[in-house]
Amino acid sequence: MSTRDVVLDHVSVRFGSYTAVDNAYLTIKGGEFFSFLGPSGCGKTTLLRVVSGFVDPSEGRVLIGGKDMARIGPNKRPTALIFQNLALFPLMSVADNIAFPLEVRGVGKKERRKRADGLLDMIALPDVGDKKVHELSGGQRQRVAIARALAVEPDILLLDEPLSALDLKLRHHMRTELRAIQQRVGLTFIYITHDQGEALTMSDRVAVMNSGVIEQIGDPESIYDRPKTPFVASFVGETNRIAGKVISQSGETTTLDTPAGPLSGRTAGGRHYKPGDECLLFIRPEKLSLSPTADAPNTISARCVKEEFEGSARQVFLKAGEIDLRLSLVNSGLAESRMAADSATNVSFTASSATVLPMGPGAETSA
Amino acid sequence: MTAIRNAFNGFVGRHGMGAAIFIGAAVFFWVIFLIVLPQLAMLDYSFRHNLPRADVGGPQDVYTIANYSYFLLGNDSTLQTTDLAVLGKTMLAAVFVTLIDIALCYPIAFILAHSATGVATRLMVIGLIVPFWVNEILRAFAFRVLFGATGVINGFGQSMGLWDVPIDFIRADVALYSGLTYAYILLMVFPIYNAVEALDRNQIEAARDMGASWWRVHWRVVLPVAKPGIASGATMVFMLTAGALAAPQILGGPSSLWFTQLIYQWFNQSANWQRGSAYAVILLVVCIGFVMLLMRVFKVNIGAIGR
Amino acid sequence: MSKANGAGAGTISYSLFFFAFLFGPLIIMVVTAFNSSSFPRITPWECFTTDWFGVLVGNSRLMGGLGTSVIIGIGVVALAVPIGLAGALALSELSPRLRATLYTVLITPILIPGVVLGISTIVFWGLVGRAFGEDYASAFYNGLFLTLIGQVTFISAYAMLIFSARLQRFDPTLTEAALDLGATPGQCFRKILLPFLKPAIGSAAFLTLLASFENYNTTVFTILSDSTFTTALASKVRLGTDPSLSALAVIIIGLTLMGAMVHEAHTRRQSLLRSGKPKISPLYANPVTRVMTHPAGLAVILIGIAAALIYGGSQHDSSVCQANILAEKRAVQEQLLKEQRERIRKQREDATPTAPANGGATNNPSPFGGAFKPGGLSPNKETAPANPSPFGGAFKPGGLAPKPEAAPAPAPANPSPFGGAFKPNALKPDSN
Repeated sequence: MSTRDVVLDHVSVRFGSYTAVDNAYLTIKGGEFFSFLGPSGCGKTTLLRVVSGFVDPSEGRVLIGGKDMARIGPNKRPTALIFQNLALFPLMSVADNIAFPLEVRGVGKKERRKRADGLLDMIALPDVGDKKVHELSGGQRQRVAIARALAVEPDILLLDEPLSALDLKLRHHMRTELRAIQQRVGLTFIYITHDQGEALTMSDRVAVMNSGVIEQIGDPESIYDRPKTPFVASFVGETNRIAGKVISQSGETTTLDTPAGPLSGRTAGGRHYKPGDECLLFIRPEKLSLSPTADAPNTISARCVKEEFEGSARQVFLKAGEIDLRLSLVNSGLAESRMAADSATNVSFTASSATVLPMGPGAETSA
Repeated sequence: MTAIRNAFNGFVGRHGMGAAIFIGAAVFFWVIFLIVLPQLAMLDYSFRHNLPRADVGGPQDVYTIANYSYFLLGNDSTLQTTDLAVLGKTMLAAVFVTLIDIALCYPIAFILAHSATGVATRLMVIGLIVPFWVNEILRAFAFRVLFGATGVINGFGQSMGLWDVPIDFIRADVALYSGLTYAYILLMVFPIYNAVEALDRNQIEAARDMGASWWRVHWRVVLPVAKPGIASGATMVFMLTAGALAAPQILGGPSSLWFTQLIYQWFNQSANWQRGSAYAVILLVVCIGFVMLLMRVFKVNIGAIGR
Repeated sequence: MSKANGAGAGTISYSLFFFAFLFGPLIIMVVTAFNSSSFPRITPWECFTTDWFGVLVGNSRLMGGLGTSVIIGIGVVALAVPIGLAGALALSELSPRLRATLYTVLITPILIPGVVLGISTIVFWGLVGRAFGEDYASAFYNGLFLTLIGQVTFISAYAMLIFSARLQRFDPTLTEAALDLGATPGQCFRKILLPFLKPAIGSAAFLTLLASFENYNTTVFTILSDSTFTTALASKVRLGTDPSLSALAVIIIGLTLMGAMVHEAHTRRQSLLRSGKPKISPLYANPVTRVMTHPAGLAVILIGIAAALIYGGSQHDSSVCQANILAEKRAVQEQLLKEQRERIRKQREDATPTAPANGGATNNPSPFGGAFKPGGLSPNKETAPANPSPFGGAFKPGGLAPKPEAAPAPAPANPSPFGGAFKPNALKPDSN
């Protein structure tokens, strides 16, 4: 077991009667980029504060490098937290900020400055050491916060939505940069976000949380393509949702009776259904395609409501009876003309690209 | 008790043992030795006889309500209204001064928060604060210069031929009320300003846009927001006016006494501390009772005071 | 649309009215400081003079009180600032219910009448002193100690409000960040929270000093037989007024304005520095304006102007104007004396008990009338000995006698024109 492993051993956190985290159990491997993804209030920040030591779990244990962290304060743990607002000390210079962890450990002034300069070189901001924090741009502050956290030489870096204050372009740039830094220093990164784009692009693995419960843990592909709960299916990425009753189940495929006719999808999580069970079928907009005929299986007849052009793709909004559908067409330059409003069309999909999940409360919360 | 211990442990965890001991000791000393015990001592004292030092603690040193009954009955056990009238007049005058201050300060606080811009705001704030760095006694003195028998107003009026005999503004209490109104005006402006400033300017414009009159905008939109500020300012102005001593001493007419002056007389001229304490307790209870009553009526919390 | 809320005629005229009310009395008081009339007034204007500043400095009671006030003020700052800081810190981190209770307790000293605070302080510490068997020479009966304690009781609450306002803007994640980076709680307190509160410590120290200096209601009880600057001032005002008090106002207002200007220059500079504009600001390009806008430069300039004014004022004192007026005054004085004698004879016939007070009035002391030597009749025993005045030795502190106009009229109504504070025995605690 590496010193950079983190184990959450059946961790629950309760504030009064409110359960912020419910029985979280997972292992984060050393050197992994691990994200917690979920809407605000799902308990992901609480979980991060449990790891960093600001919140004590009501039940369960946190183990870092195999060591129980109970009664070890945040200042004694091998973790460093990057706050949502970065929490750079406004009254100190940039170099003093970065050297602060060394200062409180009694490192001499000269040595501190040397190591701060080294870290500033690493984040490619060699000349800002004597500036005040408010003189830096948003992206520069971001990198200074990372440098300050790395000055502790932690085993685990915890990041609490650090990119949310940045503008879109910078956010995309910082994603790449964060990932690069992580691979360079080889630390365990635990990253908190409500932005699925961030989670999917940077992470080795993602845990999707909802109402204090971890719904699914997996690599980005499996989270996106093989959601295990209705919440994960609808929270991560865009999706179409069609309700129906089970007609039959054969192996990996379940067929539902829906208002748009019988539709089949992959059975998620090895569940078993009886005919008549209420289920939901989820299908991503980009997995739908226009179909010339209405006769093939998994084909829906619909009318075009409107179309939005996004540059790289076109979003087509359709209506099949009472069902709203969304179709994403890549702007590949092939002969695809604009669809006339209210024109009839057919869309189809393969059964393996759709997911059938039981109807549950999670499905309602996030449409 | 456990709540206090938990709080102390919280401070230790957050700021370290040294800081926690400092916070705990300082607050304890303040609350117990500066605030609570002195008030209790005064209360106890007010129920005692004015004895020579040798008899203190002796058999004659028993509790009595004589000091309080004197307030109502005087020496001869018949109802005497002199002191009661002074108390009533002090309260009424304090209410009057408070109302004038509200009327004067609400517009200026609103202007400061929503009409003035940039340099004008800064100048106005400085202009508000500067007069209050001048000693309270000197501010009262300024009103004496204005209103005295040979003061500026009489001098001006007489030299202009407006009146021949000096008008006794002091006897008429004009000087006193003006001086008191002036003395605590800052304590009214800033609470109202703080409250009104929080109001989103767009709300006023939206109301105007919907055709509300200037009057209605203030009544329905601004005033509800200003209410906690007004309550806070009014409480402070009222308490300070009712408890004022310097201004009544300097500006008060010969025939009008302020209740604090009675207390002062018991202490410094009659050397009867016990009775003075009783009168102080009466002042305190009446003032606090009155403020609490008004807070109940206007549904304001004491937590708003001083914000 | 925005015009409705903008600077309309009504807004401007109301603001002018309000600030006229605020500054009018002060301006008039300032002007009277330079009129040689022995009562502070503008009409009739007698002669421009700076003598009243000399009278002020020569008042030993006031100057002695100044020393006492400075000692108490320093003590109050030293106690009230840490106590207020502790109170604000306690409030910021208690649970909501405990916080509301503590806030109510801590804010009451501001609301309780100062008179009540003063009384409760002397009563309580007197009890404590008795419990320890201490006598009247001990600290428990010492005016300085009691005033210090009494003032700290409520001035700490002012400091607390300042710290609370600052603490509300403190980002608690800064403390968490420091903890996370390995600092101990103590280090967080010293290296993060205290530096953040530094500006508030400065303004709290300033305000507590000012509040201590200014306080009258509490101090007049707790100071016992001593006197602070403010209580000395108050007893002087109650006895009778002369323009040396206006001169004092001139000094205080002058200092205040200087302080306000330097402070304003400081805040402007800070906000300019923060916005990063100084490099492009034209004020900073020019070395002359650059020095003038720097707070220290401005302070030096203002002090220079003040020094020049003081020097000019002291020179003016011995100018020709005064000599001319002196002769003129003497004639007027003679006339007045005659009239006064007449009046006194009448009043002697009425045999009023306040005759001595009227006697003081007969001499009608004028700042120039050193020749009339009214000092012996002055109630200010302390000021009776000739005090060295930096402004012209021709003139005696007799000018501090009660205002001549006031003495005949209100004296009968005022049983003791000398005020309780002037009978030092009455202020002593050995009343029982």
